[in-house]
Amino acid sequence: MATREVISTGNELAAIAAVDAGCKFFGGYPLTPSSEVMHVISDLLPKKGGVAIQMEDEIGGICCVIGAAMAGDRALTATSGPGMSLKAENLGLAQMAEVPLVCVNVMRGGPSTGLPTRVSQGDILQSKNPSHGDYKSITLCAGSLAECYTEVVRAFNIADRFMQPVIVLLDETIGHMHGKAELPSVEEVEAGIVPRKRFDGAPEDYFPYDCGPTEPAVLNPMFEGYRYHFTGLHHDKNGFPTEEIETCRKLIQRLEDKVEVHKDEVESYEEFMMDDAEIMIVAYGSVSLAAKESIRHLRKEGIKAGLFRPITIWPSPAEKIKEHTDKIEKVLVVELNIGQYHSEIQRAAARLDIEGLFKVNGRPISPYEIVNKVKEL
Amino acid sequence: MSKTLMRFTGVGGQGVLLAGEIFAAAKIKTGGEGLKTATYTSQVRGGPTVVDIQLDDQEIYYPYANDGEIGFMLSVANVSYNSFKGGVQPGGIIVVDPNLVHPTDEDRKTWKIHEIPIITIAKEEVGNVITQSVVALAIANTMMNAIDKDVLVETMLSKVPAKVHDVNKKAYELGEKYAKEAMAK
Repeated sequence: MATREVISTGNELAAIAAVDAGCKFFGGYPLTPSSEVMHVISDLLPKKGGVAIQMEDEIGGICCVIGAAMAGDRALTATSGPGMSLKAENLGLAQMAEVPLVCVNVMRGGPSTGLPTRVSQGDILQSKNPSHGDYKSITLCAGSLAECYTEVVRAFNIADRFMQPVIVLLDETIGHMHGKAELPSVEEVEAGIVPRKRFDGAPEDYFPYDCGPTEPAVLNPMFEGYRYHFTGLHHDKNGFPTEEIETCRKLIQRLEDKVEVHKDEVESYEEFMMDDAEIMIVAYGSVSLAAKESIRHLRKEGIKAGLFRPITIWPSPAEKIKEHTDKIEKVLVVELNIGQYHSEIQRAAARLDIEGLFKVNGRPISPYEIVNKVKEL
Repeated sequence: MSKTLMRFTGVGGQGVLLAGEIFAAAKIKTGGEGLKTATYTSQVRGGPTVVDIQLDDQEIYYPYANDGEIGFMLSVANVSYNSFKGGVQPGGIIVVDPNLVHPTDEDRKTWKIHEIPIITIAKEEVGNVITQSVVALAIANTMMNAIDKDVLVETMLSKVPAKVHDVNKKAYELGEKYAKEAMAK
């Protein structure tokens, strides 16, 4: 596997990844600490025949991305927590109408405008259910500079496979840190692109939402002769609004099951020094970097700590978590919020004695804080 | 060389970020690991800014410099100096611009403090205030002996437009000269 070494920031790598993955459209509104995603892709996309547009606000940003995706393009938007709040309604529309797109959220302190320039992981639960209603969100979380690239590439392929928005979480630290990343070659990324399914039969036989109970809709690009109706209302196989009891039930159940039944396709996690671990640290995003550093220190002192790092945050790798928590007594979740993923680990482990180390003042958690907490367990 | 931790502090808009990127990139070029992180406030200009630079031969996980482990700090703003000096290990080197930063007597006992008028050098001797980050880069590298000079200068030149190569080379040489003089005192 050919790799290349790039010196860059997480935000820049996310933008480059989108272009390499075949993204042709960016719509958004610059929001600290995600703005560089927009800066960089605004430079790159026009050179590749794509379009990048700064809209009037965050809502416009997601709306034009939905439009571009319906026209058949791979499309990206990028923002931070306050922007996610504004985009929530239309992320729900994309879930309901089954429009594939990628939304990068570089997390900062919240709620509201919060701490614009400072790191946080406060959007974990928001990314599980940004909008009202039932659906199964897919959220990936980059834990290194290289993953700011590889997870955005993966997000585009997952979005087209499952026909829904995929959220990629970065955080201020990882988005802005500047260093070395080993990336797959562009050729390899291009070879891995799996375009969304298309219906090739006669237009009169085309029913985009008439799919199996665990399969996504098949939306052909608009303006190519295949007509269908597009709505956020409950809809029938042609996309027209309906209140027919079984159609409504099947639709929402399918939005859940198309991911739930195939979740092994999106599951991703890293196990770091877990083979002989007697203490399991759970961390993701930039906090996992502090956790790795802390494990280096702890191991030197003979304390057998290991890291379990979910990369696909939603759906969570619950079975794998339980496999570990059934064997390991001491489990510590470290995150830059007040236990948003901690509750998911409790659920997956079916245990209430999961420990937590949390911080919400916009500052990172240092390796020494983790070392000290582990020693207290 | 094992690990070098440096911190550059100033206020937003002074361009302290670039020096960090140059250090990290130059270290990576030599086959090592380099990482730069910046912390800034929501004030676009005028807020305290800190750039942490880590250079290491092994993989760097945690991207920030741990307080108490920093061997070198350079500061061109008093507000940032006071906020971030505590991260420098006792006996470590601190370079300040004496026109802008005013260390206490206690500070001078704790750290090796050098006073170099970085902004004035850039403005008056180099002739372009923007080159202050390159003057700072030269001072840091001369005092810490972190990276081969040729590699660092080559990396720096690759990050600035060709038309300002000469002025930046001059800035580097002047920074090096002042650093050597300060160390000889």
